[in-house]
Amino acid sequence: MERKKKNVFKSMLKTKELGILFILIILSILVEIANPIFLTYSNIMDVLRNTSYTLIIALGMTFVLIARGLDLSVGSILALSGLISAAAMFYFHLPIFAAVLLGLLCGALFGFFNALFIVKLKIPPMIATLGSLYMARGLVLVLTKGSPIYPLPDAFSQFGKGYVLGIPYIVLVAAVLALVGHVVLKHTTFGRKVYAIGGNPETAKFAGIDVNRITFSVYLLCSTLAALSGILTAARMGSGQPSVGDGTEMTVITAVIIGGVSLNGGAGTILGTVLGTVLMSVLSSGMNLVGVSAYWQKFVMGLIIIVAVGFDQYQRSQRKAA
Amino acid sequence: MEKILEVKQVTKRFGKITVFNQVSLDLFQGEILAIVGENGAGKSTMMNILSGVYAAGEYEGEFFVRGKKCEFRSEHDAKEHGIEMVHQEISLHRDLSVAENLFLGVLPHQGPFIRWKEIYQEAQKYLDVVNLNVDPYEDVRNLSNSQQQLLSIAKALVCKPEIILLDEPTSALTESDARNLNQIIRNLVSQGISCIYISHRLDEVLEIADRIAVLRDGEMISIRSRAESTVDQIIGDMIGRPLGEMYNKQSAKLGEVIFEVEELKVPHPYILDKNIVENVSFNVRRGEILGLAGLVGAGRSESMCAVYGYMKKTSGKVKLEGREIKIQKPLDAISHGIGMVSEDRKGSGIIAPMTLRENMTIASLKDISKAGFLKKKKEEDLAQTFYDALHVRAGGIEDYIRNLSGGNQQKVVLSKWLMKDLKVLILDEPTRGVDVGAKIEIYNIIYRLAQKGVAIIFISSELNELLGVCDRMIVFGHGQIWGNIDRDSFSQETVMKAATCVEKYGI
Repeated sequence: MERKKKNVFKSMLKTKELGILFILIILSILVEIANPIFLTYSNIMDVLRNTSYTLIIALGMTFVLIARGLDLSVGSILALSGLISAAAMFYFHLPIFAAVLLGLLCGALFGFFNALFIVKLKIPPMIATLGSLYMARGLVLVLTKGSPIYPLPDAFSQFGKGYVLGIPYIVLVAAVLALVGHVVLKHTTFGRKVYAIGGNPETAKFAGIDVNRITFSVYLLCSTLAALSGILTAARMGSGQPSVGDGTEMTVITAVIIGGVSLNGGAGTILGTVLGTVLMSVLSSGMNLVGVSAYWQKFVMGLIIIVAVGFDQYQRSQRKAA
Repeated sequence: MEKILEVKQVTKRFGKITVFNQVSLDLFQGEILAIVGENGAGKSTMMNILSGVYAAGEYEGEFFVRGKKCEFRSEHDAKEHGIEMVHQEISLHRDLSVAENLFLGVLPHQGPFIRWKEIYQEAQKYLDVVNLNVDPYEDVRNLSNSQQQLLSIAKALVCKPEIILLDEPTSALTESDARNLNQIIRNLVSQGISCIYISHRLDEVLEIADRIAVLRDGEMISIRSRAESTVDQIIGDMIGRPLGEMYNKQSAKLGEVIFEVEELKVPHPYILDKNIVENVSFNVRRGEILGLAGLVGAGRSESMCAVYGYMKKTSGKVKLEGREIKIQKPLDAISHGIGMVSEDRKGSGIIAPMTLRENMTIASLKDISKAGFLKKKKEEDLAQTFYDALHVRAGGIEDYIRNLSGGNQQKVVLSKWLMKDLKVLILDEPTRGVDVGAKIEIYNIIYRLAQKGVAIIFISSELNELLGVCDRMIVFGHGQIWGNIDRDSFSQETVMKAATCVEKYGI
């Protein structure tokens, strides 16, 4: 019994999540020392809000990556879905509920096609979703000819701007989704199957798991969440902007990978993704507060991708050698 | 005779597991030394050390070529010291020409330009040495298996080696091709090249080798000259006990026919419009262990993968308990009570990043969940039960499967099916790469299943294993069935008959 306890503690120390949390705390302390604005209520809420838009997509991306997939189209889907919802309200005066549904449907449709390309045509996920990235962005430009759609109904904008108990709506939405995502991934047969097809699709197939169906589900989930994030972004801005979400896919993938999800599939947790996303936002906010120029910020983000993935691969190779 | 290679007390460990323990051996100039042993006995480890796959420092001990200590850092180093390896799996580039394959890596060139003319002229010389009658311009894709094997050996000769390591060069060849190959090897050796030869075919080994070394569980058991060796002796050394004890056959009461396959045809995985399996029909009774004998590539795995729904079939019927069933995908088979352990444990047996528990229950998720939610306690209890029952040696059910030895991994893979209520279990090479101890445990598991009335279909490339374990055996060759032998007639004679049947009609 004594030994078991020790093992649990030891394995806790080894988990990536704890490592990220540790870095997060250190980083927060450093930023706070440099600029005490960091740990004020309004800044914390700002950071959390920015985190939430990314996190909602990152949750879907976590499922996709664990299933050994990749989705580069989320940024474009975010923009397109936000626009579709905005256009539905602005041009066709649809009720908010219907407009939101239409936006989500648009995301789901792209997810469906992504999965179709990958499962039926056997196009590698990176190429298939790269194609969707361009197609969705192209549709955005076709629809808007480059200019934003506004104004949108006040009741809709309220979703993006409103608070409940001093916490922005979007933060609550993201938190609830994260919780649901965690439960689905860890405590349902669906989640277990996602890990299985990412860990070894052939074994999964042999064990009677419908690999194609699970693949469809994760891509559908990911792009629908991207659409949700896009609709909430439109609500926050009070307009459908054609340029939003440019490069979001990279922010999302970086956050998820920093959170310990393996690019080779089969490993990762929602908790890790949450911490990874928060870490990215804190870093970005911290650099702003400390006064790092926007140009250098990009550089630092790039460096972090290399360090995070490099560390992951290094651990992997160590494990192989052992 | 001059000693050309001297291996002194080499030990290789993977983590805590010693796969190769204090092995020493000598190789003389112009000799063929055969190394035999069960799967997992350490033959490949030996080859990998000598050919530089495991760099110096990854193993203990030392070896010398012509008295000079070797510390290879790569396969390239080994080549420079005159050691060439011909791998069991043919590793040629299928879309390059014969000549290009021969000289790949050592293409003669002038500055940055390759001297193609010289290459094609030279190529003919090497093809002649191995008696291979193909156009140097031909794509390797169009060559038969045995032609490719000969080409692999010709390729090894390009670097003018002193020592050639051959890993089961005849495993994919017909008898006459194998004989031709062995003649060529004999010729090479008479020209002064030394050869280490790994093979499963004992009759072949007794024909070609000057000396025969037996490895078992990573230890060198015996090295004898051909004159002093007999088949019985070699087998005894290989398994460490008399044949009968190893298999310890326990018969079950045979019931009625439960599973039938009729006129099965399976498309060839690589060749369009060609069937790899033609008109195969057979049946299995309750409690019966049916062996499928044949060479690799004879169509046994493909037949069973098609039956199981893992591969597509051209046509054919599958009947369970007298009723025809439709199997489109593995899930259909499973829901009818049919399970299958694939031959490629790493590729389609385990899920490496998962724990033992998760690996065990992956086909039983329905049984351990309610409305899609996993019941943790139930899952743990189920996994623990089979973990204990199968004597899996690991750090518990939460250990990762990748940390286990082959035998223990296989027990976990088996337990995946044991926890289901199966009617038919298909086992494709279930003891490949498994140590002798675990093998015996696996046989006992199979006997227990049969006694429970499960029909077992057992594919193995080791004839001895099939003879020891099965109630009945059918022999595959060329995608067809050539023989059906009951256990009562499993005598040395029928063994030979079955074997020649395989040899004659093999791919």
